Amino acid sequence: MTYETPDELRYTDSHEWIDDRGDARRIGITDFAQDELGDVVFVELPAEGESLESGAACAVVESIKAVSDIYTPVSGTVTATNDAVLDQPELLNTDPYGEGWLFEIDGQVPEDALDADEYREQIE
Amino acid sequence: MTTMQRIQHDGTGGSHEADESSPFAPQTPQEVEAMLSAIGADSVEELFDVPEAVAFDGEFDIEAKSEFEVVTEIEDLLGRNADRTEFLGRGHYDHYVPSVVDYLSLRSEFLTSYTQYQPETSQGFLQALFEFQSMIVELTGLDVANCSMYDAATALGEAAALAARVRDTSGSRVLVPETIRSERRSVLENYADGAELTVETYPLVDGNTDFDALSDRIGEDVVMVYAESPTARGTIEERLSDVAALADEHEAAFCLGSDPVALALLEEPAAVGADIVIGDASVLGLSASHGMGLGLFAVKEGYLRQVPGRLVGTSETADGRRAYTLTLQTREQHIRKERATSNICTNQAWVALRTAIHVASLGATGLSSLAEECVTRAAETAARLDEIDGVSAPADDRHHFREFVARTERPAAEVASELADRGFLVHEVGEYEIQVCVTETNSGEVDDLVAAVREVLV
Amino acid sequence: MNYRQATWGRETEGGEAVNEPLLSEKRTETVTHDDVDLPDELVREELTLPEPAEPEVASHYTRLSQMTYSVEHGPYPLGSCTMKYNPKFIEDVAALEEGAIHPDRPDEYAQGTLAVLHGLQEYLAEIGGMATATLQPPAGAAGEFTGLLVARAYHRSNGEDDERREVIVPASAHGTNFASAAMCGYDVVELPSDEDGRVPVDALEEAVGDSTAALMLTNPNTLGLFERNISEIADIVHDAGGLLYYDGANLNALLGRARPGDMGFDIMHYNVHKTFATPHGGGGPGAGPVGVTEELAEFLPRPRVRERDGRYELYDPERSIGKVHGYQGNWLVLVKAYAYIARLGDSGLEDTSAKAVLNANYLAEQIDYDIPYGPFHHEFAATAGDRDAADVAKRMLDYGVHPPTTKWPEFVPEAMLTEPTESENLDSLDDLAAAFDAAMTDSEEELEAAPSKTTARRIDQADAARNPRLSWRALDEEE
Repeated sequence: MTYETPDELRYTDSHEWIDDRGDARRIGITDFAQDELGDVVFVELPAEGESLESGAACAVVESIKAVSDIYTPVSGTVTATNDAVLDQPELLNTDPYGEGWLFEIDGQVPEDALDADEYREQIE
Repeated sequence: MTTMQRIQHDGTGGSHEADESSPFAPQTPQEVEAMLSAIGADSVEELFDVPEAVAFDGEFDIEAKSEFEVVTEIEDLLGRNADRTEFLGRGHYDHYVPSVVDYLSLRSEFLTSYTQYQPETSQGFLQALFEFQSMIVELTGLDVANCSMYDAATALGEAAALAARVRDTSGSRVLVPETIRSERRSVLENYADGAELTVETYPLVDGNTDFDALSDRIGEDVVMVYAESPTARGTIEERLSDVAALADEHEAAFCLGSDPVALALLEEPAAVGADIVIGDASVLGLSASHGMGLGLFAVKEGYLRQVPGRLVGTSETADGRRAYTLTLQTREQHIRKERATSNICTNQAWVALRTAIHVASLGATGLSSLAEECVTRAAETAARLDEIDGVSAPADDRHHFREFVARTERPAAEVASELADRGFLVHEVGEYEIQVCVTETNSGEVDDLVAAVREVLV
Repeated sequence: MNYRQATWGRETEGGEAVNEPLLSEKRTETVTHDDVDLPDELVREELTLPEPAEPEVASHYTRLSQMTYSVEHGPYPLGSCTMKYNPKFIEDVAALEEGAIHPDRPDEYAQGTLAVLHGLQEYLAEIGGMATATLQPPAGAAGEFTGLLVARAYHRSNGEDDERREVIVPASAHGTNFASAAMCGYDVVELPSDEDGRVPVDALEEAVGDSTAALMLTNPNTLGLFERNISEIADIVHDAGGLLYYDGANLNALLGRARPGDMGFDIMHYNVHKTFATPHGGGGPGAGPVGVTEELAEFLPRPRVRERDGRYELYDPERSIGKVHGYQGNWLVLVKAYAYIARLGDSGLEDTSAKAVLNANYLAEQIDYDIPYGPFHHEFAATAGDRDAADVAKRMLDYGVHPPTTKWPEFVPEAMLTEPTESENLDSLDDLAAAFDAAMTDSEEELEAAPSKTTARRIDQADAARNPRLSWRALDEEE
């Protein structure tokens, strides 16, 4: 099975993606992650303004059969959250890189973040 | 069960050899041979991988008996329970359970099935549990009820744990009425301990919350205020909305303890501002059963994801039909493990089924009448006892439900003991206080009870 | 076999397709309380509940019962659940009027009930190789909670509770073990299994120490394998100052052949609704008595029953942890367990473990599945290989059997944890084996379309969780 892994994004080995959008970094879960989880039924997001250290558990994604903590790969302050996923958790399944994004945070992309090739290797 | 069945008969069926085998294992010796052959083993013992060092070669000294022998033995044993009329309550009640409850709940499809892990094949029981949840929602006015906890005390423990989890800021205290049964408090303390909470009481005055004292005791660090209506003394609380408001002011959850019969009549918990309702629902569905119960647990919508225990919800099948299923299971132990809302797995499902059948049999009309009788009987019985010199009833100048405390001139221990000699059991709740509970199952003997009390107090 | 479960295609008034309408969709009644002698402000405004007549109650629940698969329909091989036959006479025993008493009766008026409770305490202690038992916990998980409270009290009494904050649990353990430890305030340390599926002694040695309060194990484990190193495991834990806890879920495999007390366990719980044949009741009630060594008896919940000169009395153990149930546990379940044990006796109990293990081994032989771990006893974990275990299970329903537990333990891929119990006869085992094999060889389409012969076709779990509708009131509000 091949998973979508957009080239322009960076990744973590806990299956989050990072999109550097200039004034903030946008975070979500990968196609691989949503496939593993199954149908997402509930999402908990961090609060806007919350300050996080890289590696901290800051969000929760629940499917019917599993609960997954999401760890922020980036430190800083949360500048935006995607409230759409609170009402439509299925967006994480249908559009994990687009409408299924989770939150934005103002810190920098860490140096050890994986690039698309490195992440693809990992999930094979 | 008729006497016809008590014929000497061992009931093992004839196809087994010398009765060393379990009567409930159907394999004949020939079949055992064939199975061993298929497996490629010479004996069943070969299939066991138990080291010598820990193998058990001894006997338990439990003699196998026939069905008749066991039934007779237990009948004889239980026959040693004294034949007395119980006027007992304080958390465990005896209401009449209509026969239809037994006949339907004992159907083996209900009795011998298990948790509905394959909902497509368990639609019946799931619907029955959904209906039970729905009845509790109607009775409490709250948004969500689970399909059972073990009993009122453990439900209370779970409520405190939930209250601590949902709070934004951490807290450390739970406030409970001083009239709470000490047993219930002890269970709560064990649950509270694990959640790093301590339990403290607030006083009651004349059978109702001492609001001023409660206001003194409450604070920022209280996660939950618990009140009971009716209280363990049978009194009906009159200022529940005020208690709820006070709890709310301090960001404490307000948990109300009650039961389905009381709830059918008294102020609706949602209307007074309760966030959680717990209690024992087996007041309907089970007659006196030595304290076995059915925990009811209902909460307002905002607490949904923190609810312990099983929840049954609706969905649709692949062919567009409504279906029932266990849902929101990610709260539970089999998925969340140590982060689960509770460790509960097996609950009191079959008792919840019985309670639902009982409520269905009564209907709103029957249940309301039953509840009204609980008020009337308590008041009338108290009034009759009050006429006796040396008795003052009810001790608390309040409205009562099912039961009441009576003050006696003679020490309660003596009164209770002498009443027992005359065939009646009442509670001793204080040095000079007894408690009497009246339902339709013992109301026929109230005349005799009153006469006996009169004799004892002479 | 040509199987069809009962189903009634109906429509509600609102045009929704259902099997059996809800009670609320037939007739409800709203009542107000005009006659009661209470001030208005203490009385609820109104109450609305269904109000069927008795014949309607009877048909409603009869239909519901027919849409519920049970042990008496056929095999129900859920792993670690021990879905054995529930004898009928134990129901009559539980229904005896003489047993229908209030728990607050003074001891002298409850001698019969206390005698039965005392008798069961003794039976269980014997069977488990423990000094004594409490009957108070109302389920297995409650038994775990109780057992860990006892462990904590013990460590507190030695001044070691502050240090000993960890409970070790194998990765393959039942979810309740983890949750019970957390409820007691412990931190859980998960121990992976070795390549043979058992507790790795080396890793255990690493994991235990001054922070260890207890190790929780079931034996045989959830793969059905006996922990051969149990004596060594016990020594390791005891040497580190910890206690060894036995999860009794799999006791059916050992009845009369091995006792947890003899293996070095200090605390154990029993699941009477598994091993001792009390009915599962659609999810309970059960009971989870806890047995302990002599040393720990003083910490047990209060009250307990003891016998003095032929009379029974309740007393509080000296350093009791208090209570884990509002009264003395699930009486109606406990009396059934007593009856079952009394019926079977030594010989029947020993035969039970023999037949349970025989049935599991025979079934394993008959099915065409890989079973990666052995030698197993009363249950085994087959793997569905490259098929989805959940889909295989749904397809098995179409063959008139209940499937095994799926996807647990987690480290067996596509696990199908199967425990037939001793109650299934040869025909039934063969039917079950046929269902296993047929489901495995049916096409992907057939599996995805399954189940098709049960009351309900496949249910949309995602929608149930995304949009919880948990009462008929919620359904009404949705409209």
